Amino acid sequence: MPTAIEICNVHKTFRKKVRALRGVSMRVDHGQIFCLLGPNGAGKSTLVKILMTVIHASRISGTMLGRPIGHKATLRRVGYLPEHHRFPIFMTAEQALHFYGALSGMRRRARRRRIDAMLDLVGMTGWRKHRVGTFSKGMQQRIGIAQALLHDPELLLLDEPTDGVDPIGRREIRDLLVQLRDEGRTILINSHILSELETICDQLAVVVKGRVSLEGTVDELTSGRRRWVVAYEGAGPEWIEEETRKDGRLTQVMLPGADAAEVQPIIDRIRQAGCTITAVSEVRESLEDLFMRALVLAGEDEGSTPGAAKGEDA
Amino acid sequence: MSIWIAILAILRESWLTLRAEKLFKVVLGLNVLVIVAYMSIGFDDTGVSLFFGLTHVESEFVQSGSPLSRTLYLGIYSAFIINLWLAWAASILALISTSSIFPSFLREGAVELVMSRPTRRVTIFFVKYVGGLLFVMIQVGIFTLGAFLAAGWRIDVWDPAIFLAIPLVTLFYSYLFCVDVLVGVITRSTLTALLATLLFWFGTFGIHTADDLLSANLRRMEESVSRAENRLEELASERDVATAEGETSEAADAAHWMTGPQEEIEALNNALGQLRPWQTTIEAIRFVIPETKRTLALLHRSLERNMEVSLTDLMTGAAFQDEDEPPRQPDDDEIVQRKIIERDNEIPAWRIIGKSLIFEAAVLGLALWIFQRRDY
Ligand SMILES: Nc1ncnc2c1ncn2[C@@H]1O[C@H](COP(=O)(O)OP(=O)(O)OP(=O)(O)O)[C@@H](O)[C@H]1O
Ligand SMILES: [Mg+2]
Repeated sequence: MPTAIEICNVHKTFRKKVRALRGVSMRVDHGQIFCLLGPNGAGKSTLVKILMTVIHASRISGTMLGRPIGHKATLRRVGYLPEHHRFPIFMTAEQALHFYGALSGMRRRARRRRIDAMLDLVGMTGWRKHRVGTFSKGMQQRIGIAQALLHDPELLLLDEPTDGVDPIGRREIRDLLVQLRDEGRTILINSHILSELETICDQLAVVVKGRVSLEGTVDELTSGRRRWVVAYEGAGPEWIEEETRKDGRLTQVMLPGADAAEVQPIIDRIRQAGCTITAVSEVRESLEDLFMRALVLAGEDEGSTPGAAKGEDA
Repeated sequence: MSIWIAILAILRESWLTLRAEKLFKVVLGLNVLVIVAYMSIGFDDTGVSLFFGLTHVESEFVQSGSPLSRTLYLGIYSAFIINLWLAWAASILALISTSSIFPSFLREGAVELVMSRPTRRVTIFFVKYVGGLLFVMIQVGIFTLGAFLAAGWRIDVWDPAIFLAIPLVTLFYSYLFCVDVLVGVITRSTLTALLATLLFWFGTFGIHTADDLLSANLRRMEESVSRAENRLEELASERDVATAEGETSEAADAAHWMTGPQEEIEALNNALGQLRPWQTTIEAIRFVIPETKRTLALLHRSLERNMEVSLTDLMTGAAFQDEDEPPRQPDDDEIVQRKIIERDNEIPAWRIIGKSLIFEAAVLGLALWIFQRRDY
């Protein structure tokens, strides 16, 4: 699979010895939704800004869309939604989109056509002549997404795209991302709302205090950690009691790492005990579980406080 | 090709920023008001009419068609309208308007959206810079067009040198604007940039004025010294002649009179000795800072070609002298004033502008360097 982004050993130290990135390496495959996770201040936004040449890395090697990081012309093929972005408040939605489209090198005709399409896509057509400064947070976020997609990029870097967006909008964005991926685009998304990413995430990396603590495809990371949940009604047999969770009359038993065949005899035994099986389902490890695992992997003191590492490296 | 699309977009964004702040229109309105006031000055057979004839000042010298009327009208343009209005009031207004260009552009959240584009940072920087200067250029352009028409109408002088105000005022403004940009890039604060620029401006103004006055006074004192030395020599030779001829009392008289100039020379040399280190310091500072005052004075220099009578003669009254009257003695202030003008006129234009542009290039270079390397 061709890679969209491949970076190796990225370091960034801000003033006052704030070590935001301490040797990050990762690979984003083409046509995937890649989720960049991590606690506050882990360095996620910093990493994205480095890819977009907004911040200069202290040290970096790698490529984006086949060109070295920092190659300006490549950015024409990349869409970016910064976190906490602000538009020039005196511009109307349409003017702002024209501005950003032109900065990405789009001609006027193409801009007009795409702006109509994008405003429609984010449901803001009725607001095109209004000043962005008067928009609500979620409305601004929608314009931000329109702006990132305007020049039809192959690669999208989205820093907390659903921040401030209402539930309907969130779902729309999620569906949009899946659609964009299915069109063959690569999306790197940075968000804290793990439940939202759960269904769409293909690959992920968890960054903790400027280091990648866990990385891979979701399948890779969760295989071998599958579990089966068997739910039943009635008082269960003794042997199962300590492992069960009682939820009123409904009881579940969790069977970690089990194969479907291994679960069958257990189901039989539960039924023999006079219980009614109400559900049997396979559960993958959730993103939240992965996130927590990454924190543990990173070490106790690393994941427990927000912000970057400071001072000299130990 | 696509770089031009980006350049136009950045210029347009600057324009929208300025327009949103409504200052463009306010400044333009005030400019038009000043030019209309200028146009309202006219000359007829008996003197000067003001405010389109609302009031009238009788004068036997300044009448329609007289050389003095031309000097007065063009002089009002270069000395008052340019030096006071455009160089002070309008420039402060322009600084207030354009100070926000860089800080608002570099606002957190907004800057990421721009820096993440294919357009290089250098391009963005210079387009933004030129955008600020364009603001001034357009304002001054409209303004000088008005002045050009006014001069043609009122004194029948169609002098394209009036349009020199466009590059000169823009140049003058750019000396200040580069400081504004530097502070704006560093602090990202409009107010700080504005205040720092005003401070810098008043500082340069102070240095220039101090240098002008000091060196003119020094020259005057040096002349006094040489006058006193001449007098001393005369007295010495008188004394020598008298001694040779044996006229002892006359020789003693001459020797007695010599103490006056001697004391004068000593006092002057003392004062000169005290002032010279100051002058050296001030000149050294002046060497570095841009020549705001002299750049604008270049306009006056070019306009004076068209005047039979210089503005200084007009202001001091020298122009009103009859030829048979005894020549009037200029007072001290006037001598100093003339010395300043004399000295400034000796400096070639390319040196005044070149030196200032070196300063500007250095400041801009620093601003660009910070702008380039900065993490946003
Ligand atoms: N421009 C900057 N100057 C100095 N320090 C910075 C700058 N930008 C980020 N940092 C520091 O770098 C560290 C990482 O910040 P970053 O914004 O990348 O975190 P993040 O992972 O995006 O966090 P969040 O989830 O809260 O958005 C933080 O400690 C922050 O204080
Ligand atoms: Mg962030």
